[in-house]
Amino acid sequence: MAVRPGPDPEAAADQVETTLFRALGVLRLVVLVYALALNLARFEEFTRPRLLLVLLGVMVVWTGFVSWAFDAPRRRGLPLYVADLGVAVGLLLCTPLVESEAMLERHASTVPTFWVIPAVLAWAVGRHWVQALGAAAVLSLADLSVRVEAAGRTWGNIFLLLLAAGVVAYSTRTLRVAVEIRARAEREAAAHAERLRLARAVHDGVLQVLALVQRRGTEAGGSMAEVGRLAGEQEAALRALVQAQDHVDAVDTGGGSVDLLELLPAAPYTVSGPGRPVPMPAPRARELAAVVAACLDNVRRHVGEDAPAWVLVEDLGGSVVVTVRDEGPGIPPGRLDEAEREGRLGVRESIRGRVADLGGEARLVSAPGQGTEWELVVPRG
Amino acid sequence: MVVDDHPMWRDAVCRDLEAAGLEVVATAATGEEALVRARATRPQVVVLDLQIPPPSGVEVTATLVQDDPTVRVLILSASGEQGDVLDAVKAGATGYLVKSASSAELLDAVRRVALGDTVFTPGLAGLVLGEYRRLAEGPEATGGDGTPRLTERETEVLRLVAKGLSSKQIAERLVLSHRTVQNHVQNTLRKLQLHNRVQLVRYALEQGLDEEH
Repeated sequence: MAVRPGPDPEAAADQVETTLFRALGVLRLVVLVYALALNLARFEEFTRPRLLLVLLGVMVVWTGFVSWAFDAPRRRGLPLYVADLGVAVGLLLCTPLVESEAMLERHASTVPTFWVIPAVLAWAVGRHWVQALGAAAVLSLADLSVRVEAAGRTWGNIFLLLLAAGVVAYSTRTLRVAVEIRARAEREAAAHAERLRLARAVHDGVLQVLALVQRRGTEAGGSMAEVGRLAGEQEAALRALVQAQDHVDAVDTGGGSVDLLELLPAAPYTVSGPGRPVPMPAPRARELAAVVAACLDNVRRHVGEDAPAWVLVEDLGGSVVVTVRDEGPGIPPGRLDEAEREGRLGVRESIRGRVADLGGEARLVSAPGQGTEWELVVPRG
Repeated sequence: MVVDDHPMWRDAVCRDLEAAGLEVVATAATGEEALVRARATRPQVVVLDLQIPPPSGVEVTATLVQDDPTVRVLILSASGEQGDVLDAVKAGATGYLVKSASSAELLDAVRRVALGDTVFTPGLAGLVLGEYRRLAEGPEATGGDGTPRLTERETEVLRLVAKGLSSKQIAERLVLSHRTVQNHVQNTLRKLQLHNRVQLVRYALEQGLDEEH
């Protein structure tokens, strides 16, 4: 069976960056259209319109190239960031060459206008926040250098640019960490499921061998019979463990209730249930399981250490019925009453009394040749 | 035929069966081998481990019984794969034994299954009881006649099986013949198997009708 290994945390974080760079690509396109429209609208005012067209051409080409370049993680090296920022700064510094005195006097927008912002945001997405702030500072200085004198609006723009660089850098960092954590958690969950599957396969193999040893040992007799018996005990214990594990995996009964079947002793008895959990409030389930243990203890004492016993759990919805049966000689009618009269309350007190405390009833069925059967009927809640 | 993916177990079971004078016509390690070899050798009884390479023991049971309704499937499983056992029985298996059973018990089970008897462990009886109760509570129960129900006598017999009584002991306690006890046990299974088939047919019909729309 092929197991999905879960996403690689590093790759998942790279994917986050790629997504952000694509969003940045859209932003680049929007500000490019804005810059083109603005410059063409005031085309008449420029002193060197031909150079302006060349600059606008550079912006179009660079927008296309840089969007493509940032799309693959392996192309996102420091040179690309530097080149991107360099082009933005260069275009900014070319502004005085094409704009007329009048334009500069009235603090008209630079040639690239907002087109320079994505270059700084790229640093914020892909580099450390300190570097992003550095890029923002470089761009701001370039902007200031082309102004005749800094107006209030220029300072405002610089402030916004620094703020955006810091916020975007911080958000990207947080997002990246979150995605890495999630990817790691997914991997661990996949590994856990795989370990469980392997454990089940190993357990099954061990169970098979133990059952075989038990069988062959019993047949061989002598000292091997003892080995066989031990193997049988271990097989029953392991099987109970595997089943309990499956229950834990399958259902979380929750709400302070537990699965009664998990609390019942398994080896070396035969426990039969409905094939699904029997949820009960935890204290009641524990008390009922303790009564069952007392019944089985009684079997061990009165019938024999290795005496077989059967436990049947029935879920009737409103109530739960647990039957414990042994193959002993049975209790002759009247024997319990007799014991009670003599003041030996052992069985009766520990079983009938405890079940009555749970609001239930314990019935005893016993006949020669049929063994002894305790039927415990207990309301569920 | 013996189907088990553990060669050790397969050999052990085969040896036991052959030593007792039974003929092992084929062995198989996977579900696929089991189906191919069963078609070629037509065994009377298939001793089947549920945890085998695909198709699963449950699917193999269903296909075997469909191919040849007279074949008897005895499930021999190591870890009590509870849900799987119930599914296999619903698919048509008539016997279930845990691997820790002695070889005498295995031989007895194979012989009885071959005769058409049902071999129930207390564990399986508990599962079947639980399944009937689940069906009675389920949403289909209100639909009425479609849901299989146990008669009082059948419930009584199943409960006694689940408590570990042998057929003989049950017959004694209820003052019935051994045969009658067996019939009751078989009926409980037959009703579940029939219900299972009806459900499958209904499902197929619904799918088919949907496709026409």
